[in-house]
Amino acid sequence: MRYWKELVKGIWSRNPQLVIGLAFCPTLAVSTSVSNALWMTLAATFVLVCSNLLISSIRRIVPGHLRIPIFITIIASFVTVVDLLLNAYQPAVYRSLGIFIPLIVVNCIILGRAEEFAQKNGVLVSVLDGIGMGVGFGLTLTVLAAVREVLGANSLFGYTLIPGMEPATAMVMAPGAFFVLALMLWGMNVINSRSKRK
Amino acid sequence: MMKDIVKPTVILTAIALVCVFLLSHVQRLTVPAIARRAKESREQALALVLPGFTITGGEKKTRVDGSDFTWWEGEKKVEDAIMKEKIVKGFAFITKSSGYSGDIETMVGVDENGKVTGLTVLSQTETPGLGARCVEVASRETLWDHFRGGIPVRDFADEVRIPWFQKQFEGLNAKEKIGFMRRGVWNPNMRESLLEKNAISAITGATITSTAVIAGIEAGVARLAKARATQAPAAPGGAR
Repeated sequence: MRYWKELVKGIWSRNPQLVIGLAFCPTLAVSTSVSNALWMTLAATFVLVCSNLLISSIRRIVPGHLRIPIFITIIASFVTVVDLLLNAYQPAVYRSLGIFIPLIVVNCIILGRAEEFAQKNGVLVSVLDGIGMGVGFGLTLTVLAAVREVLGANSLFGYTLIPGMEPATAMVMAPGAFFVLALMLWGMNVINSRSKRK
Repeated sequence: MMKDIVKPTVILTAIALVCVFLLSHVQRLTVPAIARRAKESREQALALVLPGFTITGGEKKTRVDGSDFTWWEGEKKVEDAIMKEKIVKGFAFITKSSGYSGDIETMVGVDENGKVTGLTVLSQTETPGLGARCVEVASRETLWDHFRGGIPVRDFADEVRIPWFQKQFEGLNAKEKIGFMRRGVWNPNMRESLLEKNAISAITGATITSTAVIAGIEAGVARLAKARATQAPAAPGGAR
């Protein structure tokens, strides 16, 4: 039961962006298209699960005052692994995500989970926590990207929806991301406050 | 002393070693694939901007105006009006210019008369949906077509999909000023009138991007002339 709770909490009740309020930078920047969002989710979740796994397994030998440099070394190594793999086997994805792959190093969800969870909990729950948080991060990102791609580029997964229609370009640019994210935060707060009242 | 200095040092070193071990293995695994991709994409770009040409002498790097200029020389056999074979020279070069939000790097092919044989954007950071449309391929297929089994795709399967913005540079005279015409809407029927006026149709709302690509060609042609001038005496028999 506890394991299940640790796995699903990232999806709704502790959603990284909409509840904790972390990782807005990649969320805003990479949500221009659904395929970008999905690849970003995959990359960030891989790093998150691996770093949670490694950090929770060495948590007893890490000296407290040295934990940040150690965590960053571990996270940066996994990000470099993702960076090299994408460059070698998915060059199109690598090109379109560009600088945001190396920037996963400073994605605050990953260091946040290491600090808040992995260094205090066992290996299995830390991995589950990483998977859940990654999926939660990815869901927010994908929903945001779907709205922006449909409205801003008149396409979904790169396929045109209505041929010949001029899309609302503002939606794929920064303002569109802020509008949609604000609406999602509002919706989340409305639902949560209603369910609390009951 | 033992607890404060030696132990943390040992732990930090051990973790760094594990990370380096992991990275060196992934690196060794991916290096050939990355190098192969880079070579492939460069060869593809060359075949695109110098269609039908054989590259002679490989990549050349010449210092022009204080920076490196990368260019290639190619040859193509053509038959002229009286059915006589002759060899036409072509050149490809990499040029950079400032777009709206960063450098736009393009590879351009020109033949010996200065006619553009092809252009491809190698890297750009323009605004998605505006300037970044310079690399957009006009989609022939809608999502509904795709769900129904993608019938229309088959009709265009062997079409080389060059972004329309890049395609319209083919045939323009790079030695003269390249201008603008009706903006935004482009279709294959406009080709003739554009060629006549030595102009392109700019991207709607991204005039800076369009101007930057043209500026890149102009700068590149000028540098190519300088690079060839410095190259000519060095190559025996090259000065004709």
